[in-house]
Amino acid sequence: MLAVHGLWSPGRGVLLWAEDGDRAATTGSRSLRSARPHPFAASAAALAALHPGKTATLTLLLPSRAGGPVASPELVRSSSVGSARSAPALRPWTVPALAVDPAELLDPADEARYGASVAHLRAVTELAEELATRGRVLPTLVREGGAVLARWRPVVRGLDAVALDALVAALPPVARAEQAGPRDALGGDPRVLVEDALAAFADAAVRDRLGRAPEPVTIAPAGPATATEAWLAALLTPDARVDAPARELETLAAALAGWDEFGTVPTGEGRASFRLAEVRTLHDPSDPGDDPDDQTGDGTRWIVEFFLQSSVDPSLLVPAGQVWSGRAERLVAEPQELLLGELGRAALVLPGLAPALRSARPEVLELDHDGAARFLTTEAPLLVEAGFGVQLPAGWDGSRRVGLSLSARSTPTDRVLTRGGLGREQLADFRWSVAVGDEELSEEELTELVAAKAELVRVRGRWVTVDAERLRAGLEFLEKGRKRPTPSVAEVLALAQRHPEDDAAWAQDGVPLPVTAIHAEGWIGDLLDGRAERSITPVEPPPGFLATLRPYQGRGLSWLAFLSALGLGACLADDMGLGKTVQLLALEAHERAGQPQGPTLLLCPMSLVGTWQREAARFAPGLRVLAHHGSTRLHGAALTAAVNGADIVVTTYATASRDVDELAAVGWRRLVLDEAQAVKNSRAANARAVRRFDAEHRVALTGTPVENRLSELWSVMDVLNPGLLGTADAFRARYAIPVERHGDAEAAERLRRVTRPYLLRRVKTDPSIIDDLPEKIEINQHYRLTPEQASLYRTVVDDMMEKIEDSQGIQRRGNVLSAMAKLKQVCNHPAQLLHDGSPVGRRSGKVIRLEEILGEILDEGDRVLCFTQFTEFGHMLVPHLAARFDTDIAFLHGGTPKKRRDEMVQRFQDGEGPPVMLLSLKAGGTGLTLTAANHVVHLDRWWNPAVENQATDRAFRIGQRRNVQVRKFMCPGTVEERIDEMITKKKALSGMVVGDGEGWLTELSTDTLREMFTLDSGAVEEE
Amino acid sequence: MTGDPWWLDAAPSRPRKVEGGIQINSTRGEVARTWWSKRFLTALESIGVGGRMARGRGYARAGQIVSLDVAAGGAVAQVQGSRPRPYAVRVGVPAFGKAEWGLLADALVADASLAAALLAGQMPREIETVFDAVGLSLFPATLRDLALDCSCPDQAVPCKHLAAVCYVLAERFDADPFAVLELRGRDRETLLDDLRSRRAAAGPGGPADGVVPLADALHTFFTAGPGSAEAVTGPVTPSDALLDQVPAFPIAVRGHPVTELLRPAYRALAAES
Repeated sequence: MLAVHGLWSPGRGVLLWAEDGDRAATTGSRSLRSARPHPFAASAAALAALHPGKTATLTLLLPSRAGGPVASPELVRSSSVGSARSAPALRPWTVPALAVDPAELLDPADEARYGASVAHLRAVTELAEELATRGRVLPTLVREGGAVLARWRPVVRGLDAVALDALVAALPPVARAEQAGPRDALGGDPRVLVEDALAAFADAAVRDRLGRAPEPVTIAPAGPATATEAWLAALLTPDARVDAPARELETLAAALAGWDEFGTVPTGEGRASFRLAEVRTLHDPSDPGDDPDDQTGDGTRWIVEFFLQSSVDPSLLVPAGQVWSGRAERLVAEPQELLLGELGRAALVLPGLAPALRSARPEVLELDHDGAARFLTTEAPLLVEAGFGVQLPAGWDGSRRVGLSLSARSTPTDRVLTRGGLGREQLADFRWSVAVGDEELSEEELTELVAAKAELVRVRGRWVTVDAERLRAGLEFLEKGRKRPTPSVAEVLALAQRHPEDDAAWAQDGVPLPVTAIHAEGWIGDLLDGRAERSITPVEPPPGFLATLRPYQGRGLSWLAFLSALGLGACLADDMGLGKTVQLLALEAHERAGQPQGPTLLLCPMSLVGTWQREAARFAPGLRVLAHHGSTRLHGAALTAAVNGADIVVTTYATASRDVDELAAVGWRRLVLDEAQAVKNSRAANARAVRRFDAEHRVALTGTPVENRLSELWSVMDVLNPGLLGTADAFRARYAIPVERHGDAEAAERLRRVTRPYLLRRVKTDPSIIDDLPEKIEINQHYRLTPEQASLYRTVVDDMMEKIEDSQGIQRRGNVLSAMAKLKQVCNHPAQLLHDGSPVGRRSGKVIRLEEILGEILDEGDRVLCFTQFTEFGHMLVPHLAARFDTDIAFLHGGTPKKRRDEMVQRFQDGEGPPVMLLSLKAGGTGLTLTAANHVVHLDRWWNPAVENQATDRAFRIGQRRNVQVRKFMCPGTVEERIDEMITKKKALSGMVVGDGEGWLTELSTDTLREMFTLDSGAVEEE
Repeated sequence: MTGDPWWLDAAPSRPRKVEGGIQINSTRGEVARTWWSKRFLTALESIGVGGRMARGRGYARAGQIVSLDVAAGGAVAQVQGSRPRPYAVRVGVPAFGKAEWGLLADALVADASLAAALLAGQMPREIETVFDAVGLSLFPATLRDLALDCSCPDQAVPCKHLAAVCYVLAERFDADPFAVLELRGRDRETLLDDLRSRRAAAGPGGPADGVVPLADALHTFFTAGPGSAEAVTGPVTPSDALLDQVPAFPIAVRGHPVTELLRPAYRALAAES
């Protein structure tokens, strides 16, 4: 059997040679000076039987004894050879060799054994392949013989440099044993050999990959070429030759100097990094004596190890020992001085470090137990602050504080629902304990820890620091706690909502430590988890209720009834179209069936008063509804009488705030806020009035609990359950700012946790909620501006940018919004900006495109809703479209009287009348049901997904049986497209926060605005 | 008689202004902020007369030093006084020889905290112990350790010109403790190079550089060296990231930047084929 070896021969490539176990081990030749033929080297023919290649001859320096070379460990001999006595010496031998393609290294023959040198070459090709795949190569120009060649050179930095260094260190001596000249006895330089091989392999790998690319790759355009083009083209050709005049090649080579230097000098900087680690003391376990090094009681001690960390690649941590040995020289400039200086600087922060540096090659700082605790709690943060890297033991988590844990179990739900109140007896069982993080401590453990007085303790295998003072407070609390009364459900819920850092509130609760964990079982646990909707006892609507509830609506009803029984305010935040109205009506009907209740006060926007009346009459005819609005509304005794005779009093927010004194005098069973966004500004009149109404239970209905800012959520929640989320300022500091400004996921999660018992939100797109709602298909409808629009657009931009630049504060904001409005108008139609009543004609790319789309829709016999935020644009379109399609066009806007509006909706839904309905976004955006349409067109953009979706939901809601196509008009290369892009980006936040507004645009810098407004040439239709 | 009394001959007359002279940053009070520059000045201040020292500080603040060269063995300066030609000033501190520095480097490399402090901009207090141990003193202890020369007519040593130069030196020492060592014969680069090679020699396995002769590797001739087989993985960057990191290429091809022509090829490198 053959033992195959390989080496990289500069200029010749990969050479393989082999030893043959069947040949005699010694030679008769006695020459010592010149190279003799290797006695048991495999013949060229034997090599060629293993691999294709070109035969060559190789002179090798091999360890030898008198009769011949020493065999490699891979060689298996057919006959044994006597053991050697003399020490080997280096002698030259000639062997037949085979020059092979590097790919052969990956395809070893089964009938031979391969030595470490071949495996090493394979590792070099693998590194080259990886560098090529990752694009860590740069093209360059090299001279070989008389030719100038284009080559791909590997760029080896950071971790790749570490890998290369490892390969250099691992090169087996036999791989550098080619004798360069008759006097060479040193062998090749490993670094030179490995780097040369890597360069050749990388070039081949790049060419190979580009040759096999799924799409053919070209770099330089075809045709007559400059030297640069010839060079670029040669990066793909097999011979790599660059043919160009010598002078041009010189210019090119000079131009390449910057690239050739790239990556060859270490440019990175670095810093010291400290790792706290627990290591074995190496104390012999059979030794019964004390282990003096044991710091932890577990046969371990603490050390802080020093590392040099590259700032270019922070994952690269070089242990100090290797830095002192010169192993980091290629990673950063002057690594030893850098690390020393860093350690010197760290010693100023950490005085305990200085003694550990009193050696030639400091690598670790030894710590005792208290030292480790100090490092974890105070010193590590100091080091981090001072800019050093710090790594702490796995499982260590600074946020794991000592706190109280409460376990509670509630009584079955049906008992709650029959009693209607909220008492202490509803907690069947509860227990306080002290916990570190989420690990509960038994009382014995706690007593032990208090007695141990250690700061750093191992709790269930994980190290934590504990504050002895807090532990003692916890223990005392538990000891006294046996006499403490059971907390009520409301108290438990309140504890769960507390922010852990709100120390004042904890003191007020009579709890010495923050409650860091609540383990609740039964419905109270479900409530805290936000799972109550799915687990509580279902409630059926009473027989007189005429609508059939969908399963999710039934769960919504049960959830509302459950929170109502507990007296907890509820926010039903289902998506538009999921039937919040019917769920609320079902709740009213359920509660009033059989037992009389006080009246419910329902506030909603003006446009929805009629809807509530109609829907109540339709689904719950048993409910007595009083509409309290308009100039003919009742006052005084008449009002009192009417209210007492009603189940539901429907009024508008405006009326409620006007009649607040009269309405606040009534003791309401329930206060319902429909479209609760109306109270999102807690300081506005609406929200203030709402807070004055006295009601046993409060419900908010909204499809968008957060439209613009998280503070809106606070405002709604604070009306529902006053004080629940703390003060507005505290809410801003703890949730709004961290989430909105810093994208703090932890704060967002905490906010979700504290609101989820009171907030039920189902979205239409959730297939588990709705399985039969058709799909909504959103299309960005592109169009081009006409030349007239383009020139107007540019004029507006120039004019408005000047104004914006010259203004500040409120005035600037006004200018930005005005610029935005004007640009939108230009995009709609020139006449809309000019307000000159000029004809519509074919002057607007948008209108032309709209005509095409409407044509297609009408041909199909479909119905369509078109939204615009500009009533003026609507008025322009109505006669134009009516003439164009020879049909009536309905237009619902703010000036349409209520009666006419209802009629219009009715006719549209019944499939009579005009198939095209224009709506102004403000008047038609909410409340209406227009499911007869299966097309929605947004003619201009409000740039607020929440508002646009609300409008779209007129058609895309329960009752819709067909897929709905939603088109949003957008001209590429204009402000319309750029804002759309920004909104898409902002949706990432929106997922966390829901909703968005237009006001943020005014905060953009002038440069950003200019960029956003600028008209691209591509936006204009070609003439 | 209008002539001044004889003892006023050497009294301060206004020095000539120097444009762009070397001056110290300290505007009032003491000059040396750090313990090591204070130590350097101790010898001088112990013999100096208060008035001259104060005037020297004034000179240093006013920027009267025209030039200053610090080298092993001392500092040579030109200080502008009241006469047209600046005075030649020399503050000599004996430099240590090669053998002495060899002993010092041994001591410095044995305690890395010393070099660490120096590199962090601090002169470690223990450095005096290190010098003591080899029978040397880093700071001039007495006047005999200082050679002070000035070409001015003032007979007193130190004169204000010498004092001014010493204050400038002190402030240099504040900023860079290596400057003290340089005065004693080892500049920063030489010293650090020396320490580096001694540190490497102190470690296991001897120096990392240099090719091991084949003759020394006969017993491991066919086996791989101790290179770590552990694969290291770093952050994954797009395959065309390098094109955005390299310096701009000075030649464009028909108006296209070379990087953009190459970009499709770089993207194709990552493609699975």
